[in-house]
Amino acid sequence: MKDQRLRKLLDAILVPVLAILSGLVVMGILILFLRKPLFESYAILFSNGFGCKAYGNCIFITALERATPIILTGLSAVVAFRSGMFSIGQEGQYLLGAAVAAWLGYAIHLPPILHALVLLIAAMLVGAAYGWIPGILRVKLGVNELLATIMLNSIAALIIEYLVQFPMRADRSTAAHSPVIDESAQLMSFLPGSKWGVGFVIAVLAVIVIYIYLWRTKPGYEQRMAGQSRRFALFGGIPSDSAAIRAMLISGALAGLAGAIEVMGVHRRITTGFSVGLGFDGLTAAILGQTHPLGVFIVAILFSGLKLGAQLGLQLNLDIPRELGGTIIGFIILFVAAGKLYEESIVRAREWSARRRARNLKGEAP
Amino acid sequence: MEGFFSVFTFELLNSGIRLATPILLAALGGALCSQAGVLNLALESKMLLGAFVGILAAFYLGNSYAGLLVAMIAGGLLGLLFAFLYHKYKVDLVILAIAFNLIIVELTVFVMRALFGNVGSWSDPSIERIPDIQIPLIHDIPYLGPVLSGYNIIVYFSWLATIVMFIVLYKMRAGRHLRAVGENKSAAETVGINAVLLQTLALVISGALAALGGAFLSIGHLKLFTRNMSNGRGWIAIAAAMFGVNHPVGVFFASLFFGFADAFSVRIQNVTDWPPNLVKLLPNVATLLVLIIIALRSKIALSMARRRFRAQLHAEEAARPAEASS
Repeated sequence: MKDQRLRKLLDAILVPVLAILSGLVVMGILILFLRKPLFESYAILFSNGFGCKAYGNCIFITALERATPIILTGLSAVVAFRSGMFSIGQEGQYLLGAAVAAWLGYAIHLPPILHALVLLIAAMLVGAAYGWIPGILRVKLGVNELLATIMLNSIAALIIEYLVQFPMRADRSTAAHSPVIDESAQLMSFLPGSKWGVGFVIAVLAVIVIYIYLWRTKPGYEQRMAGQSRRFALFGGIPSDSAAIRAMLISGALAGLAGAIEVMGVHRRITTGFSVGLGFDGLTAAILGQTHPLGVFIVAILFSGLKLGAQLGLQLNLDIPRELGGTIIGFIILFVAAGKLYEESIVRAREWSARRRARNLKGEAP
Repeated sequence: MEGFFSVFTFELLNSGIRLATPILLAALGGALCSQAGVLNLALESKMLLGAFVGILAAFYLGNSYAGLLVAMIAGGLLGLLFAFLYHKYKVDLVILAIAFNLIIVELTVFVMRALFGNVGSWSDPSIERIPDIQIPLIHDIPYLGPVLSGYNIIVYFSWLATIVMFIVLYKMRAGRHLRAVGENKSAAETVGINAVLLQTLALVISGALAALGGAFLSIGHLKLFTRNMSNGRGWIAIAAAMFGVNHPVGVFFASLFFGFADAFSVRIQNVTDWPPNLVKLLPNVATLLVLIIIALRSKIALSMARRRFRAQLHAEEAARPAEASS
């Protein structure tokens, strides 16, 4: 029994691990193309993405902080994908959640914990509402949810730019930004000088809750069945339409939550260019993490480390453009998608090890 | 409001047609793929690749027309890679498109910065924009002339491509075979049609067309490259292909619609003091509305077909006793 479970786990992580290794090889090729030192680059990438210089001065802590929104948007994508909705609307839901949190953060004044709770809930509601739009369009009319969410993402991004530049603008400085939110609405951080804090705990809780919801409850089961096969779900009496809508509501709420945490825990306001593709990172984390909450959690931390390493390490030390990080992540998804590339060699390796084991057994028998 | 009405000028027509061109080229490619039964969601990345490769080749070869050619070759090669991964390794085309979108967005900026230093956008004075051409006789027609003439070669090419695609798809054997593959791949294969070859061809041509659309942005319309220059036009092109029911002529008018939405939002910023960010919403909102219209249309078509089928059944049932008695 235990052996089988281990086998399953190995199967699940084998392709992503091979994909990540292949991605690092591509990175090496790009670095050689720039005529930069290869091994030094790898060392700098990892020490600047995951390393620790001294107690309390850990870049890994920063990686955890940056991973927080990616975990949540990744979970958002997992809920949607598992329920058969190919929604990539996390970016738009994230942005609207952030905008609502930033607005309520300075517009209303409440006692400490209550204020933060109100912001988180409001952002989740707005995110859910923005996720509901493509959901209802898909279920009632059959509008392609991929295209609809892409358009909704650009719409949200433009609305945010407008809000920051006009109604929510704090002053006439060159870079437009909204006023700083009240202290009562800010999320606490664990270490002085770091922004890694309560937000991360919320993200971890969300990983657990979503896992339990999808794999241990009836509505979650309905959603996964609706995602795997609509017809089977219908045959089994599962209302797949309402399952899909529910998925989009939860997915939107998670992405909205990510936006609120980013505002309340890190930036304390929204600025122009607040959208930096975090929703898209979540999507990537969901694909690479085998659309499993735990996979998303691991991949999100790995991603933010890689990005930090590329940004702080490679760009500053070796003058390698920081887009290297994003490029590698793109290649990693490509290699995951092309998992069949590896399967042939995996099958061959397995046959080889089975034959060897059989030979060993024969050797022991007499 | 006075400012608002001064938007409607000849220039709006001209810039609408210009801005429709990259969408039209990519949408024709998308329609071709749909007709061949392969989902091409990667138009955006092919466009961006074309924009970047086009301006690079124009710079290094010293000739912008050569830039267009190289961009088309690059887009075609990317299409070939897609076809290879799809047919040989059965890679999911949606995830492949998402992966390539990310790779091309980041890799183009990476290469730009590696070659030209830490810049946000790049141009060089030596690069020449593709020149506008006046068509001799047509140009002199009153009113119509200035609308139909005075564009660069890519615009005319996109019109030509629309006509050629119509002829190939509906009047020639290869086109009929391609549509047969799209209707039912295995049925087409049993009668000896090489489905893999036709689908590969569709992906390659669509890559080349989308890349040319991208090159139009970097060396045909403007004369520079910036991060994520295609800015969602590839996705709009997919909607345009659907809106035009994958028929070249339908796609042509659908693309014009999006081109005008784009031009309108650009021009209205010049003549009114409406907040630019909200005006820029227009093409996106238009696309969303079009997606809803497409869905409604197919829903109505389905229910009509169902009603026709039922009516036919009733008619047959009514006819049967009569047959039996006679």
